[in-house]
Amino acid sequence: MTAPAMAAPAKATSLIEPDARTRRRNASERRFRLLGLSAVGVGLLALVILLTSVLGNGLSAFRQTWITIPVTLDAAVLDKQGNRNPDEMKKVTTLGYGKLVQQALLDALVEKGISTGDLTPKEVMALLSKEAPADLRDAVLADPSLVGQTIAFPAFATSRIDGYFKGRVTRESAERDANISPAQLDLADRMAEAGLIETRFNMGFLTRPDASELRPEAAGLGVAILGSAYMMIVVLVLSLPIGVAASIYLEELAPKNRWTDLIEINIANLAAVPSIVYGILALALFINILGLPQSAPLVGGLVLTLMTLPTIIIATRASLKAVPPSIRDAALGVGASKMQAIFHHVLPLAMPGILTGTILGLARALGESAPLLLIGMVAFVRDFPGAPPQGFLDPAAALPVQVYSWTQRADPAFVERASGAIIVLLAFLMAMNALAIILRRRFERRW
Amino acid sequence: MSQSHIMSAFDRDLETIQALLARMGGLVEAAILDAAEALETRDEEIAQRVRAGDKAIDALEEQINSECARVIAIRAPAASDLRTVLTVMKIAANLERCGDYAKNLAKRSMVLAQMTALPGSTGSIRRMAKQVALLLKDALDAYIARDPRMAEDVRQRDHEVDQMYNALFRELLTHMMEDPRNITPAMHLHFIAKNIERVGDHATAVAEQVIYLVTGQLPGDARPKMDSTLGGAGA
Amino acid sequence: MNDMRLTERVVTETAKMTARGVQVHYGTNHALKDVDVDILDKTVTAFIGPSGCGKSTFLRCLNRMNDTVASARVTGRIEMDGQDIYDPRVDPVQLRAKVGMVFQKPNPFPKSIYDNVAYGPKIHGLSRNKAELDEIVETSLKKAALWNEVKDRLTAPGTGLSGGQQQRLCIARAVATSPEVLLMDEPCSALDPIATAQVEELIDELRAQFSVVIVTHSMQQAARVSQRTAFFHLGHLVEYGETGHIFTNPSDPRTEAYITGRIG
Repeated sequence: MTAPAMAAPAKATSLIEPDARTRRRNASERRFRLLGLSAVGVGLLALVILLTSVLGNGLSAFRQTWITIPVTLDAAVLDKQGNRNPDEMKKVTTLGYGKLVQQALLDALVEKGISTGDLTPKEVMALLSKEAPADLRDAVLADPSLVGQTIAFPAFATSRIDGYFKGRVTRESAERDANISPAQLDLADRMAEAGLIETRFNMGFLTRPDASELRPEAAGLGVAILGSAYMMIVVLVLSLPIGVAASIYLEELAPKNRWTDLIEINIANLAAVPSIVYGILALALFINILGLPQSAPLVGGLVLTLMTLPTIIIATRASLKAVPPSIRDAALGVGASKMQAIFHHVLPLAMPGILTGTILGLARALGESAPLLLIGMVAFVRDFPGAPPQGFLDPAAALPVQVYSWTQRADPAFVERASGAIIVLLAFLMAMNALAIILRRRFERRW
Repeated sequence: MSQSHIMSAFDRDLETIQALLARMGGLVEAAILDAAEALETRDEEIAQRVRAGDKAIDALEEQINSECARVIAIRAPAASDLRTVLTVMKIAANLERCGDYAKNLAKRSMVLAQMTALPGSTGSIRRMAKQVALLLKDALDAYIARDPRMAEDVRQRDHEVDQMYNALFRELLTHMMEDPRNITPAMHLHFIAKNIERVGDHATAVAEQVIYLVTGQLPGDARPKMDSTLGGAGA
Repeated sequence: MNDMRLTERVVTETAKMTARGVQVHYGTNHALKDVDVDILDKTVTAFIGPSGCGKSTFLRCLNRMNDTVASARVTGRIEMDGQDIYDPRVDPVQLRAKVGMVFQKPNPFPKSIYDNVAYGPKIHGLSRNKAELDEIVETSLKKAALWNEVKDRLTAPGTGLSGGQQQRLCIARAVATSPEVLLMDEPCSALDPIATAQVEELIDELRAQFSVVIVTHSMQQAARVSQRTAFFHLGHLVEYGETGHIFTNPSDPRTEAYITGRIG
C-alpha cells in the first residue's frame, strides 16, 4: 500500500516574508482591534464628561455658608411661664425667634464694628436664610435648658450669599437680582473678614428634609434617602424570595411544555417593559383599587418589586443553569430527593449569581424615577417617615425623584443641589455594585 | 473474519506472522522429504543440507515468537485475533519440533550410510515420510483455508501413519531376531520411524489448533490411538 | 495472590437484579430494545458497546436515574431481590440508597472531603450521632482506598484532590450509604492510567461486598475487572456471558467484530 501523496507544496514560501494573503489578514485584524479600542475610548470619554459635569456642579452642594452670631435666648421672651416646658414654649412662633435673631445679628455687627452702610435692618436680615429662625426654634425646643443662655448660633446664609462665596453670584448678577444687592454683598465681605461668615462641609445636605422653593440652602436629602432605603427593603424582602422561588420552579421542577414556554417568553418580555407602565399599573392597582396611601415607600417598593422581578428571575435562572448537571446527578445518585439536591447543592452553588443579579436589580430599582412619579412620590414631603412598620405607609420621597423635582425649581441654587443628589445616588449605586462584586468573589467556588 | 480491522496496521501485523508461519511450514515439509530421500539414496550431501537447514527453521520460529509477542503487547488482540496469534505460536512450536526430527533423521541416515542396508525397510520409511509430509501439508493448508473439516480429516488420517509405524516396528523386530548384527541399523531405523510417527502427531496437533482457531474449542473426543506396540492391544 | 487466581474466578450464581424485556424510549427514539440481563450478586458485570448503544441508558434504568429525564419511558420489568423497582410504591430515593452510582466525570460536591462522604448517611439517617458518622466516613474512605491519603485533611475541599482521588472520593460517597449494588458509568474515562489502575483494583476489592456494574468504553478494562460482560449494539443486548469467554470466543459475530476492533 502506498501512502497517498501529501498535497504537494505549491511553491517554496518563506516563513520570514508573509505572503499577500497573510498580510491582508493581519491588516484586517489590526483594523478591528483599532475599531474596538476607539469604541472603548468613546465610552470612557462619555463617562469622564458625565463625571466632570456632575462632580463639577454637585460637589459644592456638600459645602454651605454659615453666618455665626451670638444669640441671647431671653427667657422673658421664649419661656414666659419659666418652667421650661416644651409644650408651653411651642406657643412662641418662628416670628418671635425671627425678631430675636435679627436683633442678635445687628448687635453682632455693632460689636464687631461693621458698618451696615445705608442698609435697612430688614435688608441686613436678608443675608440670613429664612430658615434660620425656625432652626433656632427647633434647637431651643430640643434643649429647653438653652433658654437664658447666650449661644453661638450658626445660621444658614441665604442662597445668594452662599452662591457669592462659591462664585456662583457676582456683583454684576446681583445688580440685576431683586433678592440681593451689591451693597449686601459688600456687607457680607466685611462680615467674612470679621470671621462671622464661613463656608464649610454641610452634613445637613444628607440629613435635612427638603425645603421650600425660597430656601434652597436648607434643602437636604434626608427624607429621600430614608424613603429610598425603605423602598429597597421592601423590594429586597419581596423580590428575592419570590424571584428565587419562581426561578427554581421554572428551572428545576416545571414540566417543559407550551405553558412554561409561554411563561418564559413573557418573563423575558416583562424585563423589557418601560418602567412607566409599571407606574400606571401600580396607580390603578395599589392606589385606586387597594386604596393604599400615595407617596408611601410600601407602594413604591411594590412597584419596583414588580419591575425588578423579571430581572432577578432571569439572573437566577441563568445561574441555576450554570450549575453543572453532574452536581445534580451526584446528589440524586446518593439518594437525595429533588428538593434536597436543589437546596443542599444547586442553590448554594448558584448563590453568587443570584445575589449579584439581585443586587444589580436593586440598583436599577434604586435609580428608577418614572413609576414613582405616578404614585405620588414626587410630592413635597418635609416630615420624615416614622420608624418601620408605620414608616412604610408614611409619605416619603425617593432619591431619583428628588433629583427630578429639584431640577424643576426656579432658583439656580437647586441645580447645584440636584447635582449633589446625583452624586449621592451614584455613590449608593457604586456601593451596591461593589457589594455585588465582593459577594461574588466571596461565594464563588470552583467545581 | 472477512472484515478488516479499523486499524489497518493490525491487519498487516497478523498477515506478517501468518506469512512467516507458511514459510516455516514449507521449509519443514521439504526437510522431512529431503531427509527421507537422503536415507533411501544414502546421499550424504542431501543429509548435510537438511542438517544445515534446521538452523533457518529455528531462526524462523524465534522470529515468529517475537513478532507474536509484539502483536500481543501492542495490539492487545481479542477473540479470533487472539486465537490467531496463539495458534501461530503453538503451530510454530510444533513445526520447530518437526524440523528437529528431520534433522535427527538426516543425522541417522548419515550413520546408516556407513552400514549395510536392511532390505526393504528404507522404502517403507520413505513411504511413511511421504505420508507424514502430506499430513503436515494438509494441516497447514487447512490452517490457511481456516477449514475445520479438512483439519478433522488430518486428525483421522494420523492413524494410518501409526499403522505404518506398527508394521515397520514388527519388521525391524524380525530383522533383529534373525541376526544380532542387524540390531544397530535396525535400532537406528526404529528411531527414525518413531520420529516420523512423532511428526505425524505434531501434524495432528496443528490440525487441532486449526479447529480451535475456527471454533474456539479444542476437539474434546479422543483421537483414535493405534499404537499396538504398547501391550500389543489396539486401544 | 497469583495462586488464588483460579479460586477468585469462581462467581456466585445468585442473581441480585434481573431485567426482563426492558425497553426504553426517549421521546420517539427507541433507545433500548427488549433487554434481559441477570446481574449476579458479588460480581463485577461490565457493559460494553459502541457509543449510543444503550449501555449507559440501561445502567441508569437500574437505579431509576432515567426518572429525571422527562422524555424517558421505561417498560419491562427490573427486579432487585425479587422486588419490582418500577413498582409505583417504590420510592426512587430509597432505591438509590441501595443502588449507588459513580459517574463518568469525578463530581465531588464543592464541600469538604468529610461532608462529601457524610452527605448520603446524613440524608438517609444512617447515623445516630457524630461518632457514628465519623466511623461511617472513615470506613467508607478506607473501602475506597483513600483514607491514608486524606485522613489528615478531611476538612479540605473535595474538589482540591487529584482526578483519581476525586473519583475514589465519589466511590467512597456512594459506598457510604452501604449500597447493595454499585453502578459505575465510565468511571475511569477522565483518569490517567495510574489512577485508572487504582480504581480498577478498588472495584475488584469492592466485589467482595456487593455487585458492581460498570459501563466502559475500554474493552481492556472490561476484560480486567469484570467477571461477566454484556455487549450492547444499537439498543440490543447482543451477548451476555462470562468475561473470559466473551473475550476469547464470543458467540455472536457482532461481538467478535466489536472486540477485535472491526466496528466502532
